[in-house]
Amino acid sequence: MASSLTLSNIVAGYGAVRVLDDVSLSVGAGETVALLGTNGNGKSTLMKSIMGMVRPAAGTITATIDGTSHELVGRSTEEIVDLGVGFVPEGRRLFPKLTVTENLLLGAFRPTARSAIAKNLDFCFETFPRLKERSNQLAGSMSGGEQQMLALARALMSAPRILLIDEPSVGLAPLLVQRTIDKIKELKDGFNLTVLMAEQNFTQAVRIADRGYVIVHGKIAFTGESAEALNNNDLIREFYLGA
Amino acid sequence: MEADASLLISAVVSGLLLGGFYAAVSVGVAISFGMLDIVNIAHPAFILLGSYVAFIGNTVFGIDPILSVMITLPAFYLLGMLAYQVYYVAFERRDDQSLRGLSFFFGLLFIAEVGLILVFGVDYRSVQAWYVSGNLNLGVVELPWRLLVPFLLGLAMVGALQIFLARTFIGRAIQAVAQDQQALRLMAADPTKIKRIAFGLSFATAALGGAAMIIIQPIEPSIGREYIGRIFAICVLGGLGSFPGMVIAALTLGVVENITATFFGPSWAPAVSFGVLLITLAVRPSGILGR
Ligand SMILES: Nc1ncnc2c1ncn2[C@@H]1O[C@H](COP(=O)(O)OP(=O)(O)O)[C@@H](O)[C@H]1O
Ligand SMILES: [Mg+2]
Repeated sequence: MASSLTLSNIVAGYGAVRVLDDVSLSVGAGETVALLGTNGNGKSTLMKSIMGMVRPAAGTITATIDGTSHELVGRSTEEIVDLGVGFVPEGRRLFPKLTVTENLLLGAFRPTARSAIAKNLDFCFETFPRLKERSNQLAGSMSGGEQQMLALARALMSAPRILLIDEPSVGLAPLLVQRTIDKIKELKDGFNLTVLMAEQNFTQAVRIADRGYVIVHGKIAFTGESAEALNNNDLIREFYLGA
Repeated sequence: MEADASLLISAVVSGLLLGGFYAAVSVGVAISFGMLDIVNIAHPAFILLGSYVAFIGNTVFGIDPILSVMITLPAFYLLGMLAYQVYYVAFERRDDQSLRGLSFFFGLLFIAEVGLILVFGVDYRSVQAWYVSGNLNLGVVELPWRLLVPFLLGLAMVGALQIFLARTFIGRAIQAVAQDQQALRLMAADPTKIKRIAFGLSFATAALGGAAMIIIQPIEPSIGREYIGRIFAICVLGGLGSFPGMVIAALTLGVVENITATFFGPSWAPAVSFGVLLITLAVRPSGILGR
């Protein structure tokens, strides 16, 4: 069943500082949408607004999960995750003193996810064999690439219908970035997810995105209806890639 | 020489038994301090509340001291939840945890202790049960029941809680909550609720620890203070967050204290146990099994 996400006229920030200014965007059922922008333009703030970690001053955020619509503004983070919206945050936010397996099992805390725990764990270990090898290692002692895989796998353990990923490429070597982006595509197809991915790495993100938005100073500066439209846009060349 | 050897063996054996009792009184702090990072120095006062429940059940209603506490465990669980909720609303929610949080638990210790004095007075109280006297004769050694029962109670509590923490969703969330609360929300768990449950469990263990204590020795309200230092020492020595480490530390301390008391006199025992703590932390700052 279809799961999608729509933001309408979102205004949000921190205290008196306004970061997002009238942002509207949507992620259709089964789509992978890229949220593109350089540092400090509001990508994480937008993700946090969806997840109830930043409270918008105005606007609505509607998540449709398997055909049922829910207004997200005003809900707590744990409620939003419980509805079926998974989030891989900036900085991964693993539990460093717990093992890989313990981190993954915590991912399945959500009651709906508990029945599928064995199946999802198998799937995660199949997709990331490295995690299986390291299943008893403490999360905090792993490399950046392994931690990113664990963060992705942990979010999948909650059996989400919509997945938000904040800058999966940060801190990874170029080859690993490519592999991580490929894995996201693989997971998206395997779980039939709807994905919103924030990225600075334009080239890599556009490889797997169906569409994309470019955010500049908290406003949507450009909407690309296809990967080609993003690739061939002069505005992006000028503002975003600096070319 | 012969006599020394048998003295040593009996000191080690009863030290191990004493260590099991130390584990019983420390396990609640291993949860609140070791896993939640909350310095509940009032814990021993609630251990004593458990002792008095055992005392009343035993003297007024003629029930077994451990069973008396078992019956009231839900009340202790709720009391722990309430204590955390007050702490949360008054301090934690306002990001005011460290120093003033400590003063909250100091106040709680004071109130609980004064309450116990007002209700029960300062006389020493004890309980009666078949295991308060007598020995289990194993041929080589004799194990006094009054040490053996608290030892077994301590190990049973730790074992049950270890299984709970490792195998259940709530248990794993309790282990994770102090590491990253916001991340725990992303697992669809409410950190405040998780901490409330953990605190409830911590108080419930205090009550059972109290039953163990009044079996081992007669109690009066201020006796808990003697345990504050020892309990926190055991948790730090074992490695915060690790139950197996805490048990090893408790047993070690029991044995070291007992050997010291046997050969050099009881007044040396506390000094030696803190010596062990200092040396261990110098070699291994994260404790015996700390992660
Ligand atoms: N916790 C915060 N408090 C105050 N300002 C913040 C906070 N987090 C981010 N900002 C500000 O909001 C703006 C957007 O930041 P962010 O959403 O993190 O951008 P991006 O993810 O695109 O790099 C920046 O100017 C940043 O300094
Ligand atoms: Mg960011």
